[in-house]
Amino acid sequence: MSRRLLLAGVLLAPAALTAQTAAAPRDTTPPAAYFGVTEYQLARKKLELDMQRGGFTVYIIADMEGLASAVRNGTEMRPELRGGTPQHERFRQEMTDEVNALIAGARAGGATQFIVNEGHGGTLFRNALVELLDPEAILIRGYPKPIVMSTGLNPMVDGLMIVGAHANAGSPGIIAHNFAFDSFTVNGKVLNEAGMAAFIGGEMGVPFLLAAGDDVLTAETKEMLGPIETVTVKTAVSGSAAIALSPARVHQLLRAGAERAVRRAKAGALKPLVFEKPYRVRLCLRRQYARDEWVRTTVGRFEGMTADGGEGCFAYTTSSAEAVGNLLNEIEWTVLKP
Amino acid sequence: MNRRIAALSMLLVTSWIAVLSAQTDAQIARTNGFRAKTVAHEAGFRVFIVPDMEGMGSAVDSREILAGNETPAYAGRSSPDYWDRFRLLLTKEVNATIAGARVAGARSFVVNEGHGGNLFANILPWDLDTAAMLVRGFPKPLVMITGIDSTFGTLMFTGAHANAGSPGVMPHNFAFDAFTINDMKLNEVGINALIAGEMGVSVSLVSGDDVLIEETRGMLGKGFVGIVTKRAVGRSAAITYSPAHVRTMLRDGAAEAVRRERAGGIPPFTLPKPYRVDFTLRASYPDSVVTGVKALREFKLEQTGPRSFRLVTNSAREMGYLLDGIEGVVLR
Repeated sequence: MSRRLLLAGVLLAPAALTAQTAAAPRDTTPPAAYFGVTEYQLARKKLELDMQRGGFTVYIIADMEGLASAVRNGTEMRPELRGGTPQHERFRQEMTDEVNALIAGARAGGATQFIVNEGHGGTLFRNALVELLDPEAILIRGYPKPIVMSTGLNPMVDGLMIVGAHANAGSPGIIAHNFAFDSFTVNGKVLNEAGMAAFIGGEMGVPFLLAAGDDVLTAETKEMLGPIETVTVKTAVSGSAAIALSPARVHQLLRAGAERAVRRAKAGALKPLVFEKPYRVRLCLRRQYARDEWVRTTVGRFEGMTADGGEGCFAYTTSSAEAVGNLLNEIEWTVLKP
Repeated sequence: MNRRIAALSMLLVTSWIAVLSAQTDAQIARTNGFRAKTVAHEAGFRVFIVPDMEGMGSAVDSREILAGNETPAYAGRSSPDYWDRFRLLLTKEVNATIAGARVAGARSFVVNEGHGGNLFANILPWDLDTAAMLVRGFPKPLVMITGIDSTFGTLMFTGAHANAGSPGVMPHNFAFDAFTINDMKLNEVGINALIAGEMGVSVSLVSGDDVLIEETRGMLGKGFVGIVTKRAVGRSAAITYSPAHVRTMLRDGAAEAVRRERAGGIPPFTLPKPYRVDFTLRASYPDSVVTGVKALREFKLEQTGPRSFRLVTNSAREMGYLLDGIEGVVLR
């Protein structure tokens, strides 16, 4: 159990602390049997019950590595109970403050509904301080949840934002990673975690409005998604060091950026990310997962997956972005298993 | 993994079980002494509130609602920082419920800890509405509704969770994998509603996740005010709302609930007698729990399967005492 928790933290966090996968005997139940894996349509229907008609709904993904001043995974991104330190609590508050700043800005820009989805596994997707979050927000929290970072996303959402985001696996950003992958492309285009949410939302006609994180994240996300609003909260000078703006200054920038983003979206200036169908997904598992024969073969057995090139690399072709989201989910289950 | 899911959904479970010998006459007499005690009667419309935690606003994970000190088996099953925060949220939910009931004319409030975290001591007494009498601690005679009697005008369940095996957040049902009365499946709300129903007290408010509310409608009907505090998207994940919003819903809901009761609009929940109570102890329990339940000699239990028992009785209260006895076997 504790190992499983540890691994849960590893997945949406850094590539560095991984070697724990081997030893213990495995539960080889197919991932589809796991609660939550096939529930993404149900989750979407449930969130649709809460959707406002006729307003402007912003869907905010809240991650942590890209928060103001955050640089170190082991001490700042992980709770004490799981080997971290009490500093994590301060960053939970920072995450809450940054989400609140985005909501305030979006509201000033004309947004009327705010959905926040926990995107960081540090405390199993329970990071925001619920009593301090903007009271108008709907918060999706806990783990497991379907399509981890895009739970419940639906066509009635008017725009996506991500805060505290980190740069892609292999990039020179702070605590850079991408789910369980070393690389992930759709039709040859490289996507980071923000890009994957943009892809799933894009198919529903939901545009991506804003990304906040370090300079590497904001630059790469603009390159992927076009002229979205970005807020650079720090400049990476290593994988765990940054030149950081004051958190208070970051909150001002987030507020201004979100307001601008919503105004631009309302004026039709920000378009959904659209790919030609069918989508040709190519992914390579993170190296330590790729080396794990059980993970590799289990992922390889998912319906529609074919081996493609190197060890732990697969191709998957589909005409549904939500199906890709579900695939991400199943892979996550597999790598998180004890 | 199955074991883990079972573990997560377990509230009152432990593998640490003292093997019990049969109850002695002295023990039974002592227990009967406690059972005979009553909550002081107060004038005015009386509300009995049972706050549980799994179904409260924002809570999604057992680490948020356990103190880790329940039995040695719970050590490490808590995030103390989370549990502390959720104790205050819980207390505020109860206060909101009391405030709403008061607006509609209720004048007397008894709150009975319905959640086993910290052994039924989760509410912060210093922050609870000062008009409330609080029943806390464990063991207590009618686990979830200790102290209820026919003088109460209504019964309210906040933070309740869905039945064992259902797709709700942290679903479970006392110590059971299955529980029926006269073949009707009952969750914890349903079981306690029957005990209260026999005293003429009806359930006017139930709050919890969407799954709990729907299944409870199937048991108790349309009479009660149902408040969806969150929508389950996994056993440990949900679409949640601001605690402030949940409190507003509870305040408004409790006021409406008391109005409905005072207008005579909600019939008590009853079932035909005698009650044929069938239950199956959780498969995850060690055999010593089965042995312990067999040793509860004050109840005439018939064993109907390896872990299944039947009680036939004309008294829902007796069934409630049996639940307490079983809880005692599991938690002690």
